[in-house]
Amino acid sequence: MTGRGLRLGVVLLAVAAFAYGWRVTRIDLGELVTKAHLVRPLVRDLLRPEVLERVPRTQEVAVPVALGGPPPPLGAARGPRVEVSSRSVRVGQEVELRGEGFAAGRPGRLLWRDATGAPSQLAEFTTDARGGFVLWVRIPDTLGDRGELVAVVGLPQTVWRPSETLRLVAERMVETVFLALMGTAMGVAFAVPLSFLGARNLAHGPVGLAVYGASRTVLNVFRSVEPLILATVFAVWVGIGPFAGVLALGVHSVASLGKLYSEAIEAIDPGPIEAVEATGASRLQVIRYAVIPQIVPQFIAFTIYRWDINVRMSTVIGFVGGGGIGFLLVQYINLLLWQKAATAVWAITLVVALMDYLSARVRERVV
Amino acid sequence: MARPFLKVEGLTKVYPGGVRALQDVSFEVARGEFVVVIGLSGSGKSTLLRCINRLVEPTAGSVWVDGVEVTALDREGVRRLRREIGMIFQQFNLVRRLPVLTNVLTGRLGYVPAWWSVFNYWPPDLVQRALDALERVGIRDKAYVRADQLSGGQQQRVGIARALMQEPKLILADEPVASLDPATSHSVLRYVEELNRREGITVLCSLHFLSLARRYGTRVIALKEGRLVFDGPPSEIDAHRFRQIYGEDAVEVEIA
Ligand SMILES: Nc1ncnc2c1ncn2[C@@H]1O[C@H](COP(=O)(O)OP(=O)(O)OP(=O)(O)O)[C@@H](O)[C@H]1O
Ligand SMILES: [Mg+2]
Repeated sequence: MTGRGLRLGVVLLAVAAFAYGWRVTRIDLGELVTKAHLVRPLVRDLLRPEVLERVPRTQEVAVPVALGGPPPPLGAARGPRVEVSSRSVRVGQEVELRGEGFAAGRPGRLLWRDATGAPSQLAEFTTDARGGFVLWVRIPDTLGDRGELVAVVGLPQTVWRPSETLRLVAERMVETVFLALMGTAMGVAFAVPLSFLGARNLAHGPVGLAVYGASRTVLNVFRSVEPLILATVFAVWVGIGPFAGVLALGVHSVASLGKLYSEAIEAIDPGPIEAVEATGASRLQVIRYAVIPQIVPQFIAFTIYRWDINVRMSTVIGFVGGGGIGFLLVQYINLLLWQKAATAVWAITLVVALMDYLSARVRERVV
Repeated sequence: MARPFLKVEGLTKVYPGGVRALQDVSFEVARGEFVVVIGLSGSGKSTLLRCINRLVEPTAGSVWVDGVEVTALDREGVRRLRREIGMIFQQFNLVRRLPVLTNVLTGRLGYVPAWWSVFNYWPPDLVQRALDALERVGIRDKAYVRADQLSGGQQQRVGIARALMQEPKLILADEPVASLDPATSHSVLRYVEELNRREGITVLCSLHFLSLARRYGTRVIALKEGRLVFDGPPSEIDAHRFRQIYGEDAVEVEIA
């Protein structure tokens, strides 16, 4: 075939591949416009994350009672008070409650909080013009031998406080950062010895070369497995949750850190090694005095960098059952709770940016 | 000569690539000599020095140091031999991120238990000796400074102190002043000369400049393309010999 014919063939092939690709992936740019209304609420919600919530301010008074025992001690209280006719009670007994010092003319609820802290509503009431109330309630069937009668009166003012979602997201975010930390730690623990064995310049003799080849192979095999697949496997193995994520990130980190570490070792100046060897030092001493001082800064930098990447990666790994913020996010998405999802997305963005900045600063310092 | 202190016989080195760096080199050195090795770049000076402490494995031939056949030693034997041979390098080869004092102490590694190094432990008497060694080369005040904070001349003096810690009977110096300016070169070589004169340490030192070789050497060995082409007192190197060693077009440059 002539050069021109070959070139024409290649062009035709490329065009055919492109056309086929366009069809199988069902590219339809028009849909971006015609279906824009579908994505609008999602985008709007993503811009309105649930960060704070408005809750009515309340006055709350809890009176502990004992079931079939001496009445428990009462704490000293200021402000609104509630008196109970008897604080040593039986299930089904009727007791009288007299409240005073509450806000006047406001709706209130009377709750029973059992020994485990679980509340149930016994009655509703409205305070009188002087902020008091009188109420008869029956002690409900309950767990344990004590409980609390709780009067909650709603005030006209409201307060802003961090939303439940924000609290949950923060909790999972912390979990994610530590998940990444543990995964990184696991990676370091195995990558350090492997990297010494897998550094060409430290391999001496036939045994050394064989060990070098073996370590390199292990690292390459580990690195070629996608962390998402690892996470799926571990989620099946040890169950969905952060531990699966730690294992997945750990195995992946062994591979990538091992490679970076051994490259750092291979890049060191051979001069000091030769000089220390020339003094009659043993292998261990040569590594301690000529190799380690040269690689410590890079090792620290690579490790922090890896932690940073692992925080990012652990959000995606959470999608497939690796725990942490990713798992929470995918649940919100599946339930179409876009505002809650938005809270998680913003939290991830913020933390990743922060980690990025901090790790860059630390790396600047050590290298 | 009675039993020579250093004896090199038929030494040949062929590198894996096929380069014949040394070809059948033989000479003897008596205890206390200051032998300067000269020759063009690539003539095999570094290879020769490294064959003596087995940093390079000779292809053929033999080396004796103080009655010990170096070329017949096993790994442990080589380690024991190296303890007694100090080496000084063109690029100083200090561990840059370690303090000067630790660099000097590494000269003693061959004599201390290996596990000490895990904790970077050094007994006080060795630390004192390292400080004394630094005192001798005039940089005692730099003991706790990181090695890479020092000037080239100061770094080479640390290199000498490191060799001194070994209490060597032989010093191999591979172009110890090639990275230094003329004035600094002299000050560094004077320390080496002092060790040679005062303590009777035998010195084998490769140098670029013939003027330095004449000034410091008691004897000169010249290599050309891996072969020994001259062995004698520096005064015997006349213009004719000079061209033989360095090639027809070479001109001798003086170093102040
Ligand atoms: N590790 C090695 N592998 C292969 N060839 C080498 C090696 N080291 C040195 N050589 C070659 O051996 C020859 C002698 O090198 P050597 O370093 O001993 O010379 P030199 O006289 O010290 O030179 P210079 O003045 O440049 O330091 C050169 O041709 C060099 O390229
Ligand atoms: Mg050389």
